[in-house]
Amino acid sequence: MAKTKLSLGYGPKLETVPVELPPGEPRPWDANDQLEVVGEPVPRIDGQLKVSGAARYTHDVALEDMLHAAVLRSPYPCATIKRVEVKAALDQPGVEAAIAVAAVGDKLIFAGQDVAAVAAARPEQARAALASIVVEYAPAPFVVGTRAAMRDGAPLVHETAVEERRTGADEPGAEKATGELSGNIRPGRSQKRGDAKRALNKAALTFEATYETQCHTHSSLETHGVMVRWDSEDAATVWASTQSIFSVRDEFAAIFGLPPAKVRVITHFLGGGFGSKFGANASGTAIAKIAGELARATNKPVKLMLTRHEEHLCTGNRPDSIQTVKLGATATPGAQAKITAIHVQAHGSAGVGTGAGVGRNASAVYTKVPDVLVESADVFTHAGPAVAFRAPGHPQGAFAMESALDELARQLELDPIDLRLAHDGHPVRRWQLELGRERFNWDARRQAAADMRARGTRVRRGVGCAVSIWGDFSGTEARVSVEIDRKGGVVVKNGVQDIGGGIGTIMAQVAAEVLARPVDQIRVEIGDSELGPGVGSGGSKTTASITPAVRNAAEAAKAELAQIAAEALEASSPSKLRWTNEGVSLGRRSLTWAELCERIEGEAIVAVGTRARTYGHYPKSFPGFPTPEIAGAQFAEVEIDTWTGEVRCTELLAVHDCGRVMNEMTVRSQINGGIALGVGYALMEERVMDPSLGVVLNPNLDQYKPCGAKDLPEISIVLTEVLSGNNNTGAYGIGEPATIPTAAAIANAVGDALGVHVRSLPITPAKILDALERGRQTSTEGDT
Amino acid sequence: MQPFALIRTKRLERARAIVRDKPEARALRAGGIDLLDRMKEGLDEPELLVELRDAMAPQVELGAGQPLLPAENPERFPSAPRFAQIGALTPLAQLAAAELPGAEALTEAASQAATPGIRNTATVGGNLLQRPRCWYFRQRELVCLKKGGDTCLALMGDNRYHAILGAGPSFIVHPSSLATPLLALDAVVSVFAGTPSDPPEGGATTEPNSLRLLSELFVSPADDPTREHALEPGDVLTSVWVPVLDGMRSAYQAVREKQSHDWPLAEAAVRMRIAADGSMRDLRIALGHVAPIPWNASAAAALLEGKAPNADLFAQAADAALADAAPLDGNAYKVPMTKGLLREVLHRASGLALPE
Repeated sequence: MAKTKLSLGYGPKLETVPVELPPGEPRPWDANDQLEVVGEPVPRIDGQLKVSGAARYTHDVALEDMLHAAVLRSPYPCATIKRVEVKAALDQPGVEAAIAVAAVGDKLIFAGQDVAAVAAARPEQARAALASIVVEYAPAPFVVGTRAAMRDGAPLVHETAVEERRTGADEPGAEKATGELSGNIRPGRSQKRGDAKRALNKAALTFEATYETQCHTHSSLETHGVMVRWDSEDAATVWASTQSIFSVRDEFAAIFGLPPAKVRVITHFLGGGFGSKFGANASGTAIAKIAGELARATNKPVKLMLTRHEEHLCTGNRPDSIQTVKLGATATPGAQAKITAIHVQAHGSAGVGTGAGVGRNASAVYTKVPDVLVESADVFTHAGPAVAFRAPGHPQGAFAMESALDELARQLELDPIDLRLAHDGHPVRRWQLELGRERFNWDARRQAAADMRARGTRVRRGVGCAVSIWGDFSGTEARVSVEIDRKGGVVVKNGVQDIGGGIGTIMAQVAAEVLARPVDQIRVEIGDSELGPGVGSGGSKTTASITPAVRNAAEAAKAELAQIAAEALEASSPSKLRWTNEGVSLGRRSLTWAELCERIEGEAIVAVGTRARTYGHYPKSFPGFPTPEIAGAQFAEVEIDTWTGEVRCTELLAVHDCGRVMNEMTVRSQINGGIALGVGYALMEERVMDPSLGVVLNPNLDQYKPCGAKDLPEISIVLTEVLSGNNNTGAYGIGEPATIPTAAAIANAVGDALGVHVRSLPITPAKILDALERGRQTSTEGDT
Repeated sequence: MQPFALIRTKRLERARAIVRDKPEARALRAGGIDLLDRMKEGLDEPELLVELRDAMAPQVELGAGQPLLPAENPERFPSAPRFAQIGALTPLAQLAAAELPGAEALTEAASQAATPGIRNTATVGGNLLQRPRCWYFRQRELVCLKKGGDTCLALMGDNRYHAILGAGPSFIVHPSSLATPLLALDAVVSVFAGTPSDPPEGGATTEPNSLRLLSELFVSPADDPTREHALEPGDVLTSVWVPVLDGMRSAYQAVREKQSHDWPLAEAAVRMRIAADGSMRDLRIALGHVAPIPWNASAAAALLEGKAPNADLFAQAADAALADAAPLDGNAYKVPMTKGLLREVLHRASGLALPE
């Protein structure tokens, strides 16, 4: 290890911090580095392909002779298969293979589960042929409502222990659920500090409320799907709509008993994943297994892309939640009030799956609260399994915790920002709260909201804020290569996929920075497992995992070039050389880039770079990890028509830290996307199931309501860059942090506008009217 | 979606005859927005679509003509110095952009429906004749009252988006956002109905043979829960006529859970004139997305007729409009919502400033 001192920190606070670097690691870019390309708002290098339609997504891939698959799904939420007969499907037009996926005796436990599948020449032929498959079901009692499933005597979803299923998109370090199944409830993750129950008993003042969040679907614009082509008996190429090429490769290899090296996975462009596209199969449907078996049976490539309807039933969702938050506080008046205890009891349903935790807002943001207990339990229901969804657990946990804080602040007549500042130990988040207070004109708007409430106006406005916590979970698995050929061409290669954040553009920028080349002179090849180990895009770690490896590869390639240049220019040491966009020089002697590259021996320099383990975490580490804690705060304004209940989020200020900004344009774009997702979660999105039929009622993008263009607030983004010394580029993630606080901030703004909190998401006009009615009743009671 | 054939004809009577010959397997296509949705959802599986867009032209004209009144009972149709004629094939975007002074309720509704892309294609006729969005009706596997079953599944199910007025037995809400302002505007429609004539090639155009009040276009589920409109297979709605009264003013508004591409939770449209003495005259009030048919709130209109605009009076009218509301277990919110909405639209239509 080599010790060095770096200038690290943020905004008002820069410090010289000693950092130990692993051998061979270049000196990390710190506050003293003036970078030319990294950080600049470089437009996406593949932007034109995307907007012109030339980009080929998995949906667009077409191979000669390919067949299309369709899957027959159980219409029953709970049923045993008595008979399944696929033969008649083979006589249908265009059909070349039909397979049963479920067997006689199998118990199907949600509507939408795989039963059988066919492959036909055209997709509509495959779909039509499903009708000729004969299946007899013995339907059984079921339960789809979370509260209903918690009641004694509710039909049991699982009769035996349930193994927790995890993907690379789950929150790293989240506690494993180990509790015993009791009825449909299995106690799961818990986080503990001190003795919250005891502290609550002793508290002079307590607050308790129950918050509910809905089931939220990922609704990626590109549905889940794969194309499988067997290249030989034991080798296959898989085109997959995935956010993790290498876990698709490994899972596909495991399903068919192949060595992973015999499976090639390609994802040139991905139409969204949000955590749901990690495996070869989706969370509730075995798409890769089905396509692989049909391809094997027909000896033709088989493509299986799900419909929007299927996408809503069996490819994952964000679990719902019912969270009771108890806060204990001192009786000290005004700004001296201190929260002494937090106890969160959460139940949530991930359908037949696991993982209904509620994140770390309650346990890890308010570190100045001495006694904290967060308990969460999975409640099993006969519904499609959940899967990791952009910041698993956190948006629901933030909604409950941040709402409770605001309600307590209202009760204590305290400013919600002051209450947060008094209990949050992260210096960056505290700085963000102060910045937001000023930039959002917080005090004046709070006063205006109070005046409107007092006058009982028809149209109300209110403001709210909420914060996020996330960690730098980047890994060391990527191997990036940089090639510089004799004609001066530079290619950066890695098997990583672009989930949409624009990793290819950022790879080009980092290579351009190191090599002093223009960005448009760097070619980037990604999206193919043959390009070298990449990293799954989960945990907001793509940029922070890949860019340090790009830098290392580029530095290694440059070192080789520098040797050549030093020799040619007769430099005593390569460190004396001056690099520019033109080429390299020493005093008055110079070589153009082309002249220099011509001197490369052989075809090209090829250098491979890796990423060292995270070595710094200034100014604060994520609980349980020797890596940075990522802070964020958002401020929302809402406008509410109290006559109709119509509610809109009109303005949103997002103050986020994402380490060193690699590309200001793509960072802002990711934050915009996180906010759009959060606005939908706050105000309109909800998967609805019929309790007596057990089916999803809105499996489409018409009645399932993602946020649209007109629903977006005016967004302002402040990037509070933090140089943490975590890796050689200083990057860390933003994808998940950007969506964690949005719904909570909007809920708090609604509470400010109405003077009554809406404790359930989504905050629809119906719930606004209900809250107003409750407010009226409370004030009438107060009058008497 | 099942494969289908599409044929084009410039002759409307020919198009009608083709569909009448085999109504169970053929359908007329205008914008094709809802029709194609239903075909993709597997609700309808026609083998043959007959394109209407070559046989009829988009058109919005103000004051160019009058609807041809029938010999019998012509007085039951509204009279007005001028009419706006809107061709059934007019895309919503064209209607939204039209200058129809006094009939702003209609252009506002047209400009808010669906999305810009859909408004460029969807037609006025198709909007009026589309099928409901009820999430039980729209699921192919579910057999509800509308599809010949015994019961409306919304009654026992999740009915947050269903009707609060009309008393069933189907609790859909009528999906047309143009029907609400058109009902308030007292519109009439021209229809080609009955056996198609067979005019010679290039011969004289036949006139539509049936004029109906807009309210006569819609069928209450009490009469037949399986249909929403009274047209028979092969009947074609050709024009909508909006009477334009002197000094007429109107307003429309909807409440939505989201502003981009969403169906209203409730709609209200109001038409009136303000007389020289400042009183409101010729009031008509329609509510949408609260009943299986576009809802004429005539009691509320009667309460206001002849009176000067007044905020308290508007609140009373809103109460009167919803007096018969009988919400299901999940949609009681629609009652206060629709009242508040109607109050706002009354303020806007009458020009009485809304409170802050």
